[in-house]
Amino acid sequence: MGLLDAVSIPRRTMVLFFLVDTSGSMSGDKIGAVNEAIREVIPEINDISSENADAQIKIAVLDFSSGAHWIYDKPVEADQFVWNNLEVGGLTDMGVAFKMLNEKLSRTEFMSDITGSYAPAIFMMSDGAPTDDYKKELEELRKNKWFKVGIKVAVAIGDDANTDILKEFTGNEESVTRVRTPEALKKMIRFASVTASQIGSKSSGVGIGGSEDSNTKADDFTKQLKEYTAENIDPNDVQAGW
Amino acid sequence: MKEFKQNDKIELKVGGTITVKLKLGEGGQGIVYLVEMNGKQYALKWYTHDCTKDFYDNLDNNIKNGAPTESFLWPQFLTVWKEKRFGYIMALRPDEYKDFSHFLLAKVRFASLSAMINAALQISNAFRELHRKGYSYQDLNDGNFFIHPTSGEVLICDNDNVAPYGKNLGIAGKCRYMAPEVVLGKTKPNADTDRFSLSVILFMLLFNNHPLEGKLIAAVPCMTEENERRFYGSTPIFIFDPTNDTNRPVMGVHTNAIRRWPIFPQFVKDAFIHAFGSDGIDEPHKRKPENEWQKLFVKLRDQTVKCSCGNETFINPDAADSRCLNCNKSLGKPLQLSVGRSKVILWPGQKTYACHTKSASDHYREISGEIIQNKNNPSLWGLRNLSTDTWIATMPDNTQRNIKSTEVVPILKGVSVMFASGVKGEILE
Repeated sequence: MGLLDAVSIPRRTMVLFFLVDTSGSMSGDKIGAVNEAIREVIPEINDISSENADAQIKIAVLDFSSGAHWIYDKPVEADQFVWNNLEVGGLTDMGVAFKMLNEKLSRTEFMSDITGSYAPAIFMMSDGAPTDDYKKELEELRKNKWFKVGIKVAVAIGDDANTDILKEFTGNEESVTRVRTPEALKKMIRFASVTASQIGSKSSGVGIGGSEDSNTKADDFTKQLKEYTAENIDPNDVQAGW
Repeated sequence: MKEFKQNDKIELKVGGTITVKLKLGEGGQGIVYLVEMNGKQYALKWYTHDCTKDFYDNLDNNIKNGAPTESFLWPQFLTVWKEKRFGYIMALRPDEYKDFSHFLLAKVRFASLSAMINAALQISNAFRELHRKGYSYQDLNDGNFFIHPTSGEVLICDNDNVAPYGKNLGIAGKCRYMAPEVVLGKTKPNADTDRFSLSVILFMLLFNNHPLEGKLIAAVPCMTEENERRFYGSTPIFIFDPTNDTNRPVMGVHTNAIRRWPIFPQFVKDAFIHAFGSDGIDEPHKRKPENEWQKLFVKLRDQTVKCSCGNETFINPDAADSRCLNCNKSLGKPLQLSVGRSKVILWPGQKTYACHTKSASDHYREISGEIIQNKNNPSLWGLRNLSTDTWIATMPDNTQRNIKSTEVVPILKGVSVMFASGVKGEILE
């Protein structure tokens, strides 16, 4: 090996989680928009990852309906990730999803890279309300250290989505956005995935400018999300009737 | 904000318009477009967040004052400031220049040690000139540099947070590159904190690993903001700290640093030991000024020669023998030109610069001479005068010769050369 040959600088890993509601009510253009938007955003996430000397980004997807399941059994690099369309049907076992996420947010499970991780970004999308007993599982999940420090964001799809539970999930109101059209849903998926990846996979700007209220990455994300939503998502858009 | 489409027109502050051609990329702060103005192409950086008038006015001021050196892809024109949004245009980056992060990720490598040293020199000099103009950069990180892998020429982008002394635009930097006192929120970014960030960049350029990331950081499963504050703020420990071995690089993880640290001359290692030791960490005023880094890399260049195996290596001018770092061949103790504090190894292809041969010059780019081999007898070496000055060479028998531009001083032990008033060089063993 020559003097100037090098191996890549060690990078941490940031896992971007998608938690997708695939209950029966998601059928039609809702799941259609989700499938299309995530498929389109994966190459963009790969670009962010491949240019980034701080961290690489891996993707993990959990879909939940009657029960829940991981699309891949471990987080996968964006360039290896193949998105197969999610099918819908069944109930909304959100509690099961919370439990399964909690199990994987562990150094012995999904967060096991030898060079360490950055806090994950967790993106939940649902059009309804849990049909199982989610409370205890959400409570447990919220005690998980990885979950606590992660960037959390939720999209409520249509008027039937229960935003109270999504707010409990993200920990604040600003990180939950309701969308009512396929267009708005696709925009939100792209924006939230790309922005969470950009912020989550970089060394943070803590202590910036000597300000006392130094922001966390999660705060930075929430701020950008708020600005984006205000400019791009029309809260009164009822065109699609979701 | 809606993204611009092809052929959208944007008004400039100075009047006239630019035409959007293509989206080139997107970052945390904004979107970069290829634009055209008067038939010429530029890059437009358009902010996707609200910007203050103060931020806009500061950039306007920087444009009026001009770039510190040609290495900076400096803002050239502002668009009008409308509803807290605007952009600025700058020269396009030529494709041959590669992102510094690509070097770190081992997607690109320097073609030679000289190219690497030239990049270090240019970066040191660029920040020296920036600070001499009364600016501070404030947000130095791995995303700011484009480097030519063969020549080591550097372009510096993202010059939008550059501000005059004492002014701060509230920029978010990156922890891994911030001075500890900025990480801890004790101070706002300034020229002293730039100097810390510069030493991180220079270390990474040479060793391709982070100076503070060793065993301790590798043991942390989740790099949270709190952990970042600890490892880059309250208790940063240099991976090669001679007095504290708790954060040594880890075999198999920090491979490049482990391989490269031993091969660099001690004076280079000492500079980084100082930069990341208690003086450099705790005493912002004791950080090495950029001109010292510049001198250090000139010295390293003076000692870098090309071995017959085709690779470059370092020669210790004070050692009885040096071996090629690549082929391990003995290179002996070559003659050297001792001039001022410099010791330039006299070896075919080696160059002298204005900083060696002109009075009171620290110009590191202006070539003044080159070591050549006689075509008919390659064992005869000479120093060709590539400056416009006439040198006076004194031979071992005390005879003197004028060496005009393009003429050659024979390289023999005992020859001395008066390059300029007060600048006398001697060829020594």
